[in-house]
Amino acid sequence: MASISINPREIDNTVELPGQRAPLITGKQTFNSVTEMVCAVAEKPQPMLWYILFGFSSLTALMFVSLIGYLILTGVGIWGNMSPVFWAWPIVNFVFWVGIGHAGTLISAILFLFRQNWRTSINRAAEAMTIFAVICAGIYPGIHVGRAWLAFWLLPYPSLNLWMWPQFRSPLLWDVFAVGTYASTSLVFWYMGMVPDIATYRDRSKTPLRRFIYGILSLGWTGSSRHWLRYEKAYTILAALCAPLVLSVHTVVSFDFAVSQLPGWHTTIFPPYFVAGAIFSGFAMVVTLLVPVRAIYKLENLITLRHLENMNKIILATGSLVGLAYATEFFIAWYSKNQYEGFTFMNRAFGPYWWAYWIMVSCNVISPQLFWFKSLRVSPIWMVVICIFVNIGMWFERFVITVTSLSRDFLPSSWGYFNPTMYDGLMFFGSFGVFMTLFLLFCRFLPIIAISEIKGIMSIEAHREAHDKARASGGSHHH
Amino acid sequence: MSEKKPQAAPAKPKSFGWIAEYVDEHSLLAASRKVRDSGYTKTDAYTPFPVHGIDEALGIKPTILPFIVLGAGFTGLFTALILQYWTNAYDYKYIISGKPFASWPANIPVAFELTILFSAFTTFLGMWALNGLPKLSNPLFNSERFDRVTNDRFFLHVDSRDKYFNRESVKDLLAGTKPESLEEVVEDSSPTALPSVIWLGLGFLFCASLVPVAVVLNMRAGNDENPRWHVFFDMDFQPKKKAQQTTTIFADARIARPQVPGTVARGSLVNEDPFYLGFDPTKQASLNAANNIRLVSAADDKAEKPADTAPDTASEKSATTDPVKADEPAKETPAANPPAPTPTPAATPAAAGGPNLPWITEFPLEVDASLIALGKTKFEIYCSVCHGYAGDGDGLVHRRAEQLQQGYWLPPTSVHDPRIQAQPIGNIFYTISNGKGKMAGYGTVLSPKERWAIVSYVRALQRSRNANIEDVPVEMRAKIEEAKKAE
Ligand code: HEC
Repeated sequence: MASISINPREIDNTVELPGQRAPLITGKQTFNSVTEMVCAVAEKPQPMLWYILFGFSSLTALMFVSLIGYLILTGVGIWGNMSPVFWAWPIVNFVFWVGIGHAGTLISAILFLFRQNWRTSINRAAEAMTIFAVICAGIYPGIHVGRAWLAFWLLPYPSLNLWMWPQFRSPLLWDVFAVGTYASTSLVFWYMGMVPDIATYRDRSKTPLRRFIYGILSLGWTGSSRHWLRYEKAYTILAALCAPLVLSVHTVVSFDFAVSQLPGWHTTIFPPYFVAGAIFSGFAMVVTLLVPVRAIYKLENLITLRHLENMNKIILATGSLVGLAYATEFFIAWYSKNQYEGFTFMNRAFGPYWWAYWIMVSCNVISPQLFWFKSLRVSPIWMVVICIFVNIGMWFERFVITVTSLSRDFLPSSWGYFNPTMYDGLMFFGSFGVFMTLFLLFCRFLPIIAISEIKGIMSIEAHREAHDKARASGGSHHH
Repeated sequence: MSEKKPQAAPAKPKSFGWIAEYVDEHSLLAASRKVRDSGYTKTDAYTPFPVHGIDEALGIKPTILPFIVLGAGFTGLFTALILQYWTNAYDYKYIISGKPFASWPANIPVAFELTILFSAFTTFLGMWALNGLPKLSNPLFNSERFDRVTNDRFFLHVDSRDKYFNRESVKDLLAGTKPESLEEVVEDSSPTALPSVIWLGLGFLFCASLVPVAVVLNMRAGNDENPRWHVFFDMDFQPKKKAQQTTTIFADARIARPQVPGTVARGSLVNEDPFYLGFDPTKQASLNAANNIRLVSAADDKAEKPADTAPDTASEKSATTDPVKADEPAKETPAANPPAPTPTPAATPAAAGGPNLPWITEFPLEVDASLIALGKTKFEIYCSVCHGYAGDGDGLVHRRAEQLQQGYWLPPTSVHDPRIQAQPIGNIFYTISNGKGKMAGYGTVLSPKERWAIVSYVRALQRSRNANIEDVPVEMRAKIEEAKKAE
């Protein structure tokens, strides 16, 4: 059981040494030590903190579920949604969560296709986070439709009662398909990736019950080479499918706005701007979660500082993209000489919601710029603080887009000011309870790091190292 | 998973072949090549992670999975396109934002998503199916050492079903590859049948799951006098009352509530304020109430006393809503004395017709020179054609009608008629607003203020016939004297 204990502070793989690849994982790891380290998360008794967090978040989730019950029995009138702002927080929260849910599949799919081997330490947790975020996201439109028990009307099924079909020319229906496909595909991608690791859990199980459950979940995985070959092929295909899918989801979400005629929504910049924002917020959420996870479960050797630093670099890049998008919107509003666009953007920055706009700008544009400094980029405390600010900013971005545009449409007589109710706030808070509860259960019961993928990368790295050494010493290496 | 097994086991466990254990992937690869070169084909390597080069080392053919997925992708694409075309352009057409029924650009997102969805699920399910998983029972799981295959050990298995399988020679071959361990695996001999408890449980769950379906089907198919079950109320039942219904909330059991005293309903100020009416509606209401009491007591008394006033009050009541002739003389009309000295008593006028209402006698707005000037303008525009510029009833229309000897022409009443002079200002306002007899009302074309302005001008006209020189301001008198002399 004795995994190699090396003070993670002594080894810093964020240092670039010329002619040398930075190690992807630190400490002298063997296949067994990796297994031990990851399995310890689920096999050892959970730390006190886990129980405290779980108690708190499951109560919060319970509150959320009860409030949904209250909402269904009472009606959406308990929210502050009121003419002219009928979309308000439910849609803001939906876009917020769906955006967060982009990091996982992006890490698993796009970084996989780009052969970014460092993804192996973080992809599993990021994928799990994606699925939990998409669950939180999916709840909001479901309960926002008013009669939530008829939400299945969104699906194109031959109905004997309605005698009608959904409206396929509407982006809202595209959204049903995009988010539905994304949620289900991410789920199978995540689960498929986990099967070999669940088999590891199964084979280490001490109790029959544990062996039985993990046995069912691992589908009888043996690690057969034939299976591995098809598995890897399938994984590559899924990655190739998920890469455009992940880009399409927030594109379609942005169509919900962009296809309408409302000033501030009706712009072609929305798809790339939304996707950049989604990656931005998703990575911020991954960092926010992984920093405490690696500390609590002592996974610093697997989720190294370099992993976090890499993610922070992506946050810096996407944050700058988002800032550029904000600037472009203003530029176009001025350059187009469209008086409505012009008004909308002046109103965003200096109108009644100026405070939301400037929270958004300071959190999303200014705070990620701090990641230019390496000292902040590799400091766990700082990165968590910055990432939390990023997500606050990203929530406000969706708020600004949704509420400022709706509250000031073409008809001044219908202008209004949106006031949320207590239930808006409690339900948004409650969705974090659902998210955290699921994530804590995931840590407790499932492999939070892709064990077999790390071993595969270790093998490749070792091979490459031997190769490099052989070349350096003038000899030739054959495999 | 060692408790399940596909084959019935004889007394002596059957061999499933040999497994050799290696500590690293390189020795596994070397051993694999050796076994392959020895001609064995029913072999497999088991590893904790995909070992590269193993396909070549064992002679494994590439998978056909990509082609299956390609087919699924096209199926998804065409499903989406056909679905969208059929639903929106054929089966259920309706125009939305002027978009064409078959709008291919609008169909791209869903077509894309379904292509991905079908492909992804085919990849996922197809991979497991090709791998023959889930397969929860495997003789290899009988080996204790095999548990490390998902951790850090590499195994090579030569199956006993291989054509060339020979227990001893395979053992020797594998031993020659210097494995960490070498073991013969046996078929699983544990019972294959599921425990009956599980069957019972599953059967029970299945039956229980049929109950809701049966209930729903029964309700859909059958006829029942009782209203359907309302799982969700769908606003079918609302905690509200309709007009004319009774209630227990109020003592009088009426759900339609009378107006709260001292309040004005939204938009009904025009029915509440003398400014818009010319009379005082609250006084009117109390008069009505008094009449109603008289009416009720008259009905009560009918048996004993002969009816005295009942018919009159009934007609008086109707007069409040539509201006038909009230055949009862005006009772104490409030403040019937006009501001100008009146030559005739106020008791007679109502007999000439028109409703008898509690007219107001004070102007509900400030009367000044500008108001009278406005009244003059409007009077000359709207009234003078019939009533003449001075209000004598000799306007142009009237004179023309006389000329033509129109038999049905009713001469406009002179505003200097003593009866009109005696009318309270509210009454004149009412005449202008609603008309009178043959004269049409002007409420729709003149604002209340303009009507009051005309009233003030009519009063000025009337006063001009009954004034003496003392009424004229001193500085103006000289002018009048001059005009008189000039005549
Ligand atoms: C089309 C011609 C015509 C016009 C215009 C006209 N009237 Fe008359 N008016 C009449 C006639 C005819 C009567 C007599 C109606 C009756 O007694 O049936 C009358 C009656 C009256 C009376 C007497 C009502 C009573 O109590 O018997 C007044 C006061 C009066 N008009 C004022 C006005 C004023 C003020 C205007 C301008 C806003 C006006 N009229 C415009 C034709 C006209």
